[in-house]
Amino acid sequence: MLEPVLTLENVSKTYGEFTAVDKINLQIPRGSVYGFLGPNGAGKTTTLRMILDIIRPTSGRIAILGKPSALHVRQRIGYLPEEKGLYKKMRVNGLIAYFARLKGLDKKAAARRADQLLSSYGLSDFSSARVEALSKGMSQKVQVLAAVAHDPELVILDEPFSGLDPVNQQVLESLIRNLSANNQTVIFSTHIMEHAERLCDQILLITNGKKIFDGTVAEARELIPRRVMLETASDVSGLQQLDSVARVSAAEDEAGVDPRWWVEITGNAHPQDILKYCFDTDIALNRFEYAEPSLHDVFVDLVGASAGEHRFR
Amino acid sequence: MTVIRLIAWREYMDNVRTRGFWIGILLIPVMLIGMYLVQSSLARTSPIRYYMLIDQSGDYRGAVDSAIELEYQRQVLQAFVNYLLDNRKERDLELTAVNATNAADQLVEDVGASDAAALSEWIDSGGLDFALTLTAPYLREDAPPFVSPRRSFIEAPLPDEVDTSAPPGRIVEQLRPYLRGDQDVTVNGVSGELFALILIPENVNQHILRPGVMPAEPGNRYAGVQYWGRNQADPRLSNAVERSINASIRNDEFARNGVSTTLINTIQRTRLPVAKLDPLANEGEEAVSMADTFRQYAPMMFVYFMFIALMQSVQYLLTNTIEEKSNRILEVLLASVTPNELLMGKMLGIGLGSLTTLAAWLLTLFLFLTLYDSAETNTLADIIGITLSSGLVPWFLFYCLAGYALYAGIFLAIGSLCNTLKEAQGLMVPVIVAMIIPITVTPFVVMDPNGSAFRAMSWFPLFTPYLMMNRAASNPPLIDVVGTTLVLVASIALVLWLSGRVFRQGLLRTGQPPRTLELLRMLTSRS
Repeated sequence: MLEPVLTLENVSKTYGEFTAVDKINLQIPRGSVYGFLGPNGAGKTTTLRMILDIIRPTSGRIAILGKPSALHVRQRIGYLPEEKGLYKKMRVNGLIAYFARLKGLDKKAAARRADQLLSSYGLSDFSSARVEALSKGMSQKVQVLAAVAHDPELVILDEPFSGLDPVNQQVLESLIRNLSANNQTVIFSTHIMEHAERLCDQILLITNGKKIFDGTVAEARELIPRRVMLETASDVSGLQQLDSVARVSAAEDEAGVDPRWWVEITGNAHPQDILKYCFDTDIALNRFEYAEPSLHDVFVDLVGASAGEHRFR
Repeated sequence: MTVIRLIAWREYMDNVRTRGFWIGILLIPVMLIGMYLVQSSLARTSPIRYYMLIDQSGDYRGAVDSAIELEYQRQVLQAFVNYLLDNRKERDLELTAVNATNAADQLVEDVGASDAAALSEWIDSGGLDFALTLTAPYLREDAPPFVSPRRSFIEAPLPDEVDTSAPPGRIVEQLRPYLRGDQDVTVNGVSGELFALILIPENVNQHILRPGVMPAEPGNRYAGVQYWGRNQADPRLSNAVERSINASIRNDEFARNGVSTTLINTIQRTRLPVAKLDPLANEGEEAVSMADTFRQYAPMMFVYFMFIALMQSVQYLLTNTIEEKSNRILEVLLASVTPNELLMGKMLGIGLGSLTTLAAWLLTLFLFLTLYDSAETNTLADIIGITLSSGLVPWFLFYCLAGYALYAGIFLAIGSLCNTLKEAQGLMVPVIVAMIIPITVTPFVVMDPNGSAFRAMSWFPLFTPYLMMNRAASNPPLIDVVGTTLVLVASIALVLWLSGRVFRQGLLRTGQPPRTLELLRMLTSRS
């Protein structure tokens, strides 16, 4: 594995009695796209703020780009906070250039970079518009551009997709891919699994401040068993005997003409085995469906009931 | 440092782009100058007042006429003094009655010392003609000729139908349309509103009041001279009438009692001057001039100026921080800059904005004084000249900067804790009060600059800039100067340090502003 850009060791944050983040351990390799997933109030934003040293952890240790505090390497980090806001009176290009200059670019380079970013992402026409004239989605795009204007090694985006329409979500996805292709590390938080599934090399799943998983998306999928859905009027109890079947259960929430069943299959087994058995034993199938578990399934499975209880700080 | 400069410059440009900034720069001087011009032109063009006089007693017409003439001469004298101030060869506020060397200055100083005496002197010596001859050599060559002010009080002829021998009630009844303003009077072809009717009934002398003697008809509201007029807000005519009729009655009384009225007049004009002398001045220059008085009051001007400057900048600082907080910009900034850099940048940028405003005001004032040449503006220019040459400017600069740093630190911290101006109000009140207390005592400090109460108050850092500025002209004890400066500088360092912590924690805060205990925790906690 490459040298990590970010390491968290037992990082916790408590506010009085309330534990927002509980002993998180994490390593993020250089050049990866890393997703922070979790329900609302899980502690994603708090963790990101601690990584940026905007708030200090109550305990634990953070190493970011080889330094103990993000403040030492702030010129190498780009950040888009969850609460998005911009200087309303500034012009779009001036604003991007301003943030780039705060990160150490000189005046000319900052202006050049702002123009280049705006034209790459289809915003040239608004280059000299005032921020207050932009739509919400557009100003969010501008803010993302402002966060990456100085070509940071590490880009941290907190809920970058929220509030964007599907087209702009696509634009943002391609921006993240471009960053990754450029060997820039991207960390972003979201509670929309599809984005994470498409973009992330690795993910962190947290809920109630606790880490419940970190690893690749494929590894996450393996956390829950693969399953096949059958719809049949025939008796399926015989399936239970097969080596490749772990469990058969009624799919009560799935309505069909005939009863539906979930058949969980074991580690190396192939769904084909189930189909073959059905043919052999004359089980009349109305429906046979096999799909890889999605991140959404994993999320719902792991976070489960607690995802419903939104915790507000 | 680069980051602070960037933030400061952005704040400055942001400020400059707001409408409020330009309103502050343009509108306030325009309004002040406009007010000044309107006021001075109003004072110059007082309207003509027409009055009617009916003297049934036959005793007082002369007195009223001379009273009105005297009132007019007073105006001429005043106008002539202003003319001299505008047009004499040299203007010098260092002048006193003692060192005035020429006739023009002498006249100006005499009027300043006692106008009543100067007025009778003026009339006795022949009034305007004499004064013009006397002062002509001391006027500038290009001085325009003196134009006498027009008369303010002109007697209107009685309408033909009025019978002057009728009872007063009947006369008033006949003149009522004029008194109400329904009908105008015409004098020399010009018509105007009747301002007043002075009606002196035949039996008026029965109503003369004497100490120890009961009034002839107690409770009679019409007893004595009747002055009928809708506008009682301009008392010049009624006062002049009352004064002159009473002077005439007293003269009669003097005569009846065998006292010479000439003697009385002479005695009434006898006076002893009081010389105001300054023990600190060089020998021969001890007489206190106008300039000396201004010099003593100069710190007050600086204090008020400082107050205006500080008020406007810290207010802006506060609203700006709150706005930025509610706009959610701060978190992005905090990933790029430290809270302290942000604090310093804001202080610098907004301070710079205030300096620009002040500079623009001063420039406007300077242009106004240069371009609009009149006695008043010349005097104002002289006063400002004296104030600037009083050696107080370095003090002013120091206390202004120190005051700004101190108050800005506090207001920034407050701003960082609040999401709306309304929330900030509660926290602001004590600071605003602390700012206003030294302003309210300013005039008293001038009178007793080294009084023990003011000495003690000067040590409270929030008061120090104002009070020490206020006392700067009166040689405060060295211990006060050095001590309060040290305390002030230490307080600034402390306030900025503490504000930095509150700022850091307050910036990301949402919801209600903190309670006192929470605030204390913020100030003392490590993170």
